Amino acid sequence: MIINGVEIEDTFAEAFSMRATRVIITAINYKWARHAAETMTGFATSVIGCGVEAGIEKIIGNHETPDGRPGISVLLFSTDKKTLEKQLQTRIGQCVLTCPTTAVFSGMKGGDQIALGKNIRYFGDGFQTSKNIGGKRFWRIPVMDGEFLCAESTGYQKAIGGGNILVFARGISHALLACEAAIDAIGMLPNIIMPFPGGGVRSGSKVGSKYKFLNASTNHPFCPTLKGRPDNVLGKNIEACMEIVIDGLTKEDVALAMQRGIEAICDLGKSQGIEKITGGNYGGDLGPYHFHLREIMHDAYNRYI
Amino acid sequence: MTHTTVTYKGPSDKSEVKQRLDMRWLSHAICESISSDAVKKLPLLVGNEKFTVGDLFDISSKFSNQSIVLENSNTNMDYIGRALATNIELTVKGNVGHFAGAELAGGKLIIDGDAQNYAGCSMKKGLIEITGDGSDYIGGAFAGDKKGMSGGTILVHGSSGNFTGDLMRRGTIMVVGNIGDYCASRMIAGTITNLGTIGKQVGVGMRRGTILLPHKPKDVLTGFHDCGRHNLGYLTLLLHDLRQYKSTFQSLHPMRRRIQRYIGDTTVGGQGEMLIWIG
Repeated sequence: MIINGVEIEDTFAEAFSMRATRVIITAINYKWARHAAETMTGFATSVIGCGVEAGIEKIIGNHETPDGRPGISVLLFSTDKKTLEKQLQTRIGQCVLTCPTTAVFSGMKGGDQIALGKNIRYFGDGFQTSKNIGGKRFWRIPVMDGEFLCAESTGYQKAIGGGNILVFARGISHALLACEAAIDAIGMLPNIIMPFPGGGVRSGSKVGSKYKFLNASTNHPFCPTLKGRPDNVLGKNIEACMEIVIDGLTKEDVALAMQRGIEAICDLGKSQGIEKITGGNYGGDLGPYHFHLREIMHDAYNRYI
Repeated sequence: MTHTTVTYKGPSDKSEVKQRLDMRWLSHAICESISSDAVKKLPLLVGNEKFTVGDLFDISSKFSNQSIVLENSNTNMDYIGRALATNIELTVKGNVGHFAGAELAGGKLIIDGDAQNYAGCSMKKGLIEITGDGSDYIGGAFAGDKKGMSGGTILVHGSSGNFTGDLMRRGTIMVVGNIGDYCASRMIAGTITNLGTIGKQVGVGMRRGTILLPHKPKDVLTGFHDCGRHNLGYLTLLLHDLRQYKSTFQSLHPMRRRIQRYIGDTTVGGQGEMLIWIG
């Protein structure tokens, strides 16, 4: 399959089952809501080293937030409920509670719940008060700028992590151009985050290492400076390869995000130095979700031709 | 929607009814979906006179409907709507006696008239709406009990009497009109709010919970300390909740959150709050 001169390789992206939650951070204005959200989602690129993958999902208007103030929706993904709960509470406690004027609310209604303010309330040292409003419990913790308002719990659900797109380009600037276009397109979608810096990854990893103490190491078959090795997969025209990793709440969300990303890259076309799009996988044995690029792009392909 | 109508055959004027009437049979019949014939045979003691339900009430159909209307009620009828479970709506056309909606367990009790003492006493869940006035101990506890209502909402479109929310543990009491003396006495938690005036000794013995008032009471107890003026974010959530009921509370703007805050009753080690709207 070739779209606008860009080859779509006949392969698939392999993704994993995760647990995800959503919280809504509000503040007196977007500036402070964003400070809290960015701090909370910092150092949350990969579950391998950070425990959780997190990112800003979207900005929420003050007419949509529970307390009528500007808000930001944040999604967090982890491998299991326990880690997700622990990471959520640590990050809320250190990054949102501390941020001036903020409040935090559940972004997932119903279903299974994990603690949000349930344990953070103890910071109130006995001066915290709970309020049961509309069947939901909130905690009011006295802080130096007034009160920190926090929902007691938030919902969580099964989700998918590790959806991906790999871009092969003639140079770094071409690869960046492609990634930025794809990231902008994917960023418009709900239920999705791209947890790596700016949404792009330059250090894709493979499972295992020659060193016993490492579980993952550089994906050397995709490194352009190792093109002379027999196991390298990059063609001679390729000087840079970049990846976009996508976590989503459902399989459909991830598939749609991948489609929009590939479409945005293909719109740029081969004339912009983009040679090929592929997907990262481990042979299909590790993750239960396989996103076949050509299936995802089937409908879009018909539009292009 | 079809509903079952229960009509009292006796006089509605209180002066002509000398004895109190225990209405717990009605909740029993509603919750157990008993047939109208069986209900009519239930014994009913009025003073020392023995009646059956059928002697005093007309019942239109079996209690399988989720909507029930009680007509021609009076202030001698106690325990109307006691312990009604979820999804059952009982509308009372007329005044009711004591303990209306006591131990309500999720149902909806609409009283189109006034309620006597202990309305919503020890209720757990659900809604009691009183279009007229409520009397004393609304949302309170049964005598001897250590806690009053533990959930749900009581909305009084008129005024309420003394000891409103006495020993209240959780839930919300909304009074459109005035509240009498000793409001939130010994309150454990929950929320009481009104739009009119309030009497003496507000929050006496209060441990926790919120009293939200439009005006500062004439006498603030010595156990309450002024904590200054603040914008409290949770008030927006609370106002959204209050505004869901069709009442004068809907006139409050949801972004109104500036208040004067008092905490007390510190004479009992309480950390409750009395909030007075500003502006």
